[in-house]
Amino acid sequence: MEFLQPATWREALEAKSAHHEAVPIFGGTDVMVEMNFDRRRPGYVLDLTRVPEIQVWERENGKFRVGAGVTYTRIITDLKNELPALAMASRTVGSPQIRNRGTVGGNLGTSSPAGDALPPLYASDAEVELASVEGIRRVPVGEFVTGPKRNVLRREELIWGFIIPEAEGPQQYAKIGTRNAMVIAVCSFGLALHPARRKVGTCIGSAAPTPVRAKEAEEFIEGVLAEGDLWETRGAISEAALRRFGEMVEMSARPISDVRGTAEYRRRAVGVLARRTLSWAWAEYRDGR
Amino acid sequence: MSMITGAPGRAIGTPLDRIDGPQKVTGEAPYAYEHHVESPLYLYPLQSDIARGRITHIDASAAEALPGVVIVITHENAPRLADTSDKEYAVLQSEEVAFRGQFIGAVVAETFETARHAAHLVEISYDEEPHDAVLRADRDDLYVPEQVNAGFPTDTEEGDFEVAYASAAVKLDETYTTPMEHNNPMEPHTTVAVWREGDLTLYESTQGAHPVRRTVAQVFGLDQKRVNVVAPYVGGGFGSKGLPHANTILAALAAQMIEGRPIKFALTRQQMFSCVGYRTPTIQRIRLGADEEGHLTAISHDAIVQTAKIKEFAEQAAVATRMMYATESRRTTHRVAALDVAVPSWMRAPGEAPGMFALESAMDEMAIACGLDPIEFRIRNEPEIDAETGLPYSSRNLVACLREGARRFGWESRDSTPRARREGRWLVGSGVASSTYPVFRLPGSRARVRYEGEGRYAVEIGAADIGTGTWTTLTQIAADALGVGVGEIGLRIGDTTLPQASVEGGSTGITMWGSTIFEAARVFRERHGQNPSEGDEVEAGTPENPETENYAMHAFGAYFAEARVDADTAEVRIPRMTGVFAVGRIINAKTARSQFIGGMTMGLSMALHEESVVDPRFGHVVNHDFAEYHIPTNADVGEIEVSWIEEEDPHVNPMGSKGIGEIGIVGSSAAVANAVYHATGVRVRDLPITPDKLLPL
Repeated sequence: MEFLQPATWREALEAKSAHHEAVPIFGGTDVMVEMNFDRRRPGYVLDLTRVPEIQVWERENGKFRVGAGVTYTRIITDLKNELPALAMASRTVGSPQIRNRGTVGGNLGTSSPAGDALPPLYASDAEVELASVEGIRRVPVGEFVTGPKRNVLRREELIWGFIIPEAEGPQQYAKIGTRNAMVIAVCSFGLALHPARRKVGTCIGSAAPTPVRAKEAEEFIEGVLAEGDLWETRGAISEAALRRFGEMVEMSARPISDVRGTAEYRRRAVGVLARRTLSWAWAEYRDGR
Repeated sequence: MSMITGAPGRAIGTPLDRIDGPQKVTGEAPYAYEHHVESPLYLYPLQSDIARGRITHIDASAAEALPGVVIVITHENAPRLADTSDKEYAVLQSEEVAFRGQFIGAVVAETFETARHAAHLVEISYDEEPHDAVLRADRDDLYVPEQVNAGFPTDTEEGDFEVAYASAAVKLDETYTTPMEHNNPMEPHTTVAVWREGDLTLYESTQGAHPVRRTVAQVFGLDQKRVNVVAPYVGGGFGSKGLPHANTILAALAAQMIEGRPIKFALTRQQMFSCVGYRTPTIQRIRLGADEEGHLTAISHDAIVQTAKIKEFAEQAAVATRMMYATESRRTTHRVAALDVAVPSWMRAPGEAPGMFALESAMDEMAIACGLDPIEFRIRNEPEIDAETGLPYSSRNLVACLREGARRFGWESRDSTPRARREGRWLVGSGVASSTYPVFRLPGSRARVRYEGEGRYAVEIGAADIGTGTWTTLTQIAADALGVGVGEIGLRIGDTTLPQASVEGGSTGITMWGSTIFEAARVFRERHGQNPSEGDEVEAGTPENPETENYAMHAFGAYFAEARVDADTAEVRIPRMTGVFAVGRIINAKTARSQFIGGMTMGLSMALHEESVVDPRFGHVVNHDFAEYHIPTNADVGEIEVSWIEEEDPHVNPMGSKGIGEIGIVGSSAAVANAVYHATGVRVRDLPITPDKLLPL
C-alpha cells in the first residue's frame, strides 16, 4: 500500500489524476473502519490532512463554501448560527473524538443513507464541489448521491467541499437511535424553512437507499402556508396539517428492516420527526427568529 | 496518590483507593499483551466461513510466500494434542468444522499486519453440510441435561404443581425470552505464549491463572510445573475469561511449533463474537398460581437454552426460582438444544441474570393480577426457610432492601395504574424487582504469609484482579487478618508461581481468597506469634466452613427504575435507578459501589440494548462490533443510586461478606422492563426492549 501525502490541493488533484484507485482519507472514521474490517485494501491511500485549502470555510454571495476537511467540531463551533440544521446533525455524530476527526466531506464521500450530515444539505439545496486537474464542477447534493454508498464522483475527482446557502429561517434536525450517543441513525429528518422563497426544504435520512427529499410533503405544506397566508401572519399551522405533513413524509420513505429497526418502525418514526421538526421550526419562525 | 493508611485491624470496610490506580493510569500496569518479551511473533487466526462441514483443501502457498510469514498452521501440520476429550480445546486436530468462526488455522508472522494480510491469502475449500443455529421452543430435539451449570439438578419438583395451579384463584402463564449476548470486556482475550526448553509461559488475560494452567497442562500433556501463567492485571472478563477458550490453546500450539519465539495473539473485537463464549438465548415459560390474598400456591419455571454440539454448557436459568419465594408447589425444568454454534459459557450471573428477568417480570404481572402493590406482593411471599435445602438462611434481608429502596426511590406516592403519568411527550413510569445471588464456594485455594522484617508482611495467592479491585480488597483483608495496617502488606496475586487460587467466578473471589488469607494469617500467628522473625513463613489452604451444613447462604437486593417513554417514537430513557443490597459486610465501599453500579448498568444494557443477532443462513453474529452491538453510553445512564443494608452475617466466612460481582445484573433488567410497562401499559417479554416492540403505543 502506497501512502500519498500531498501538501497542496493542486498536488492532491495531481496525485488523484496519476492514481485513480487512490482512496482519499481525512478523518478516517469510515475509511479506516473499512480497511480494518478488510472490506477494502486500496493500493494507494491519499492523505488529505496536510492540504490546507480544504480545511477552510468562506462566505460567497450569501452562501457558505465549506471545505471537505472542516470537521464536525468546527461546524458546531463556527457555523451553529449560520447553518443550524447542519450543526445540529453534526452534534449527533459519534463521540467528541470522532467529531474532532470526522468531516462532512467524508460523509459525502461515503454516501451512506445514514450519513447524519446529509439531510441538512438536501433540505437547503446544497451543492457538492468536485475537482480534478481538469477543473471543477458543482452538483446538487441530491444528484451527487445515487444509491447506498454510491455517488457520481469520477475516478479522477476529489470532493473539494460543498456550497450551502446561509440559513434564512429556522432549521431543525432530529435523529432516532437505539441509544443516546455514538449511534448510527435508525432514521433522521432534516428541515429548513426558506421564508424569502416561501419554501420548505426537507430530507429523510436512513429510511431509503439514499437520503430523500419528501417532495410531496414539501409542496403540501408550502400550499398550506400560502393558502393561510401564514408566512405573513406568522399564524399557527393546524394540527391536521402537521399530521398530514407527517403522513406524507412517511409515504416518501422507502425503509428496510435491519438490526437497527424494522421498516414499519422507521416509516412511522420519520413521520413523527417530520411533524416535530416542522412544529419546532415554525414555532421559532412565529417568534420572529 | 492512593491512600494506604489506617489503623491496624480496621481496614475492612474503609473506602480505600485502588492500590493499583497510579500504575494503571500511568500505563505501568502490564496487561497480557504488554509484557515485555524478546522478538515476538504475531498470530492471526483463520476462522471457518461455514457453520458445519469439513475442510477439503487448503492452499496456503500465497500466504507462505509473503515476506515476514513464518508459518501457516492448520490441522494438516499442527501437533497432536494429548487430550482432546474437551472438543472446545481440540484446536486444529481434524478437518471437521462445528460452527462458523471456529479456528481452523493460524498465520504466524513477524508483524501483526503481515499475519493478518497473509491470513486473507489462505484459500480454503469445504464440503459444506446443512447447519442448524436457531433456538426455538418447538424443536423436537430438546434434551434433558444430566445437570445444569454450577452443578445444580436439571429439574426439581415440590408438592403437586399441576393440582395447585389448576385450583389457583389467580393464574399467570407467560413466556419470556432473552437473546444471545456477548460479554465484551474492554481488554480482548489475549495470550502471549513462550515455549522454551519444554517450559510454557503464558501471559494471559484470564480470571484464573491456575485454572488456565491446569487446562493447558492437561490438553498438551505437560506436567503442571512446566506451565506458568502470568496475569497480574486483567481488563475485565464478565465470565468470558473464566474458562480458557480455544484462543489460548491456539497460541500455545503455535509456540510449541516455533520454540523460543514468543507468540502474541490478541483477538479483535469482531473475533470475540465467535469463539470466547456468550450467554445463551433463553426461552422461559413461567406459570404462577395464587390464592385470593395473593399468596403464591404454584410456581413453575421451564427454561430452554442452547449449547454447542461439540460441548455442553447448560445455563441454569430456572434455579433462582427454586428459592426466591414461598409456595405450596413448585416445578423447575431445563431443556437444551444442541446446535451448530460456538460454545456458550459464563456471562455475568449465568442462570440468575436471564432467569430473574423472567421471574421478576412475571412477579410484576402477577402482583397486578392480584391487585397488589408489587412490593407488598413480594413481601407477602417471603419464605421463612430456603425451600431448596430446607435450611434457614444465614441472613436474608430482601424485605429490608425492598423497604429501604422504596423509601429512597419515593415509591409511596406511586399511582399503580399503568400509563397514568405523562410529562409533555414522555410517558413516565416506575418499576421494582428483587435480586439474589448464591454464596458459592470453590475449593482449592492456598495462601502464603511471610514476615519480611520492619513490620512488613508478604501475602501471596494466585488470585485474579479483573478490574474489580482485588489488589486493594485482599490487601485490606490481609491487613485485618494479620492485625496490621494496609501499608504493612505486600500483596502478590495473578501468577501461578504463587500459591494456587480458585477462579474469579461465581462471585467467589473474596469469599474464597479472603477466607484462605484469614486462615494463613491465623496459622502464622499461631506458629510465629505477634513478633515473628524475618523470613518466618506459613502456607495454608482454604478452611472448611461447617456452617454451610446449617445455613443456606445467598445475597439479596432490590432495584427501582424510572422509565420515560416517548409517546410517539417509543424511545426509552431511564433517568434514574436505585439499588439496595444486603450482601453481608462490604469490604471496600468504593470498589463495591463500582461493582453495583456496573452490574446495574449491565442490567440496563440487557434490558434496552444488548442482542447478538445471528443470521440463520450463515450461523454467525452479524452485529459483531460496538457500532452495532450496543452497550449504553454515558448519555444512556442516568442517576444510579446505590446503597446497602448493614448486614451482620457471622456464618458466611471470616469477613462476613458475600460475593457482589454479579448480583447487580440479576433482576435489574426486570426493574427496567416493569417500569416501561408502568409507563406505557405495554408489556414487553422479549429482551431487549426496542422501540419497535412498544408500538403501537
